[in-house]
Amino acid sequence: MSSAAIKLDQVTKTFDGKVIAVDGVTLDIEAGEFFSLLGPSGCGKTTSLRMIAGFEQPDSGRVHVGGQDITDVPVHKRDMGMVFQSYALFPHRTVAENVAFGLRMRDVPKPEIARRVASALAQVALTGLEARKPGQLSGGQQQRVALARALVIEPRVLLCDEPLGALDRKLRQQMQFELKELQRRLGVTLVFVTHDQEEALAMSDRIAVMNQGKVEQIGSPTEIYEKPRTRFVADFIGEINLLDDGPKPRALRPEKIRLGPAAEARLAGTIETANFVGGATLYRVRAADNRAFLVRETHAGERAPRAAGDAVGLSWNDTDTVSLEG
Amino acid sequence: MILRHDTEPMPAPAALRPSPIAWLIAPALLLFVLFFVLPFSVMAVMSVYSGNPVTNPNAFLTTRHYMRFIVDDADIFHDALWATLKIGFITTVISLLIGYPLAHWMARMQSRLGHVLVLMAVIAPLLTGIVVRTFAWMTILQDKGVINTTLMSWGLISKPLPLMYNEFGTVVALVHIYVPFMVLTLTGVIGRIDERLEQAARSLGAGRIRAFVEVTLPLSLPGVLAGSLLVFALSISAYVTPSLMGGNDVLTLPMLIAQQVGTSFNPNFAGALGMILLVVCLIIVIAYNKILTRLTGEKGLA
Repeated sequence: MSSAAIKLDQVTKTFDGKVIAVDGVTLDIEAGEFFSLLGPSGCGKTTSLRMIAGFEQPDSGRVHVGGQDITDVPVHKRDMGMVFQSYALFPHRTVAENVAFGLRMRDVPKPEIARRVASALAQVALTGLEARKPGQLSGGQQQRVALARALVIEPRVLLCDEPLGALDRKLRQQMQFELKELQRRLGVTLVFVTHDQEEALAMSDRIAVMNQGKVEQIGSPTEIYEKPRTRFVADFIGEINLLDDGPKPRALRPEKIRLGPAAEARLAGTIETANFVGGATLYRVRAADNRAFLVRETHAGERAPRAAGDAVGLSWNDTDTVSLEG
Repeated sequence: MILRHDTEPMPAPAALRPSPIAWLIAPALLLFVLFFVLPFSVMAVMSVYSGNPVTNPNAFLTTRHYMRFIVDDADIFHDALWATLKIGFITTVISLLIGYPLAHWMARMQSRLGHVLVLMAVIAPLLTGIVVRTFAWMTILQDKGVINTTLMSWGLISKPLPLMYNEFGTVVALVHIYVPFMVLTLTGVIGRIDERLEQAARSLGAGRIRAFVEVTLPLSLPGVLAGSLLVFALSISAYVTPSLMGGNDVLTLPMLIAQQVGTSFNPNFAGALGMILLVVCLIIVIAYNKILTRLTGEKGLA
């Protein structure tokens, strides 16, 4: 399967002439990359995806795929696979007919359709369910049918709009692994829209964090997590402590703070709450100057977890703080 | 079969115990019995008697009313049945052709205000009586009506077009009257079809029209079925509009029935005609349902 690079060039989209959904967004997505658009609802991530798919026409700016300007190419000629949040499976057709749909639209001969549908269903471990209707499948199975239906046409680009959003946590995690595995195996360019930062961090090669129609930061998951550029990114990704005491705001991740005896620490404080999160505990510590800090401490060896009310000292290295733009 | 030897009575299954809310359907049930079951039974009984068995002790059981319809030397009754079904069929098809695009447009409309305005426009004609609407069409379609006088003053025609007192005028007025039923039924069904299904089809390589034909149309067939049956049933039982718009050219079964009751004083034959209309109508409905179900593989209404 060949894959294609995607380029959004200064793309803007307004709705009803007033609501700016996407505001001058420029993205360079490499061929074969797992690229996530991450942000809260209404940040423009889905609209950006829909412009790549062709469901929305940008007011200004161009969309390129594989080096070709496709801004004016209609949806059905773009050769992209799309997986919707609701799966959008055709309820009146069987699993096999759903998967065969794209091939049928391409006038692929019948024997070849049968062969490719069977192999696509095998790829997502659904062999044997060909004759079922979507309504007879579980959420996870429907998800796989949607994936098989999008992949069977061998698209250059696979677009996913919160495809795992409707699944429960356990299944979602399993599908994260499977989707990532499948994407790597096929080498297809995958654009993944999500509001779940954990999901984006776990799966992506690169992430674009969006806010109010603009891209706040683009980078690898570690870059985004370790070196957030703006206050919004720092706050949106994981837990964060914002230090406003210097000329510029700085961010400090909870796991970078060490707890110890108050005498040797930078700050003294009292533990307000202790939340065990499995393998680690997240503490909320009220410092002497009344600021609240989040501190994550992993449980090494036999050290007993601390309890609410304990007096502790907080220390960190200045190199672990990240200056933010604002 | 399972034999139970315990002495305690088995508790009634929950499903068999009527819910207290079930009493709320009592008024509807009463209405149904009073205004449908009862008159219908009277009609059925009358249709097999020679006279009124209550007032006339000499009335006897007979099939002669049905025989009269079946033999029908002058072909009047067969023609009336045929005209009724034909008008009903044409009205239904035209209502569907006009109503479907309108309903689709309404169901997919983004703006709430626009939706409300179109809905009001669709419902507004229902607020005027059928007689008023039919008379309105008469002023438009008659020989000295708006269309004919305009065309003649432009010199496009030399004598008036026969726009009413025929099947054409009847169908025009019936379509106008019953199209809202089609639109409202279809809008509900189309509105519940997820738009993303059509988008998914397009992303898989189907053009707009193909996506509609492959996805939205088959999924809306239950609405097409319900809407057509509603319009068909209403137009084959219409009386006022065919009488006013059809003139001497059109004789439908409801008109014939009214004649039998009103001028020929033969309620027994009228009853038989009513039963025949009902049975023919039922056969058509069942056949239509079967055909659509087979075409789509979907569950029909029945």
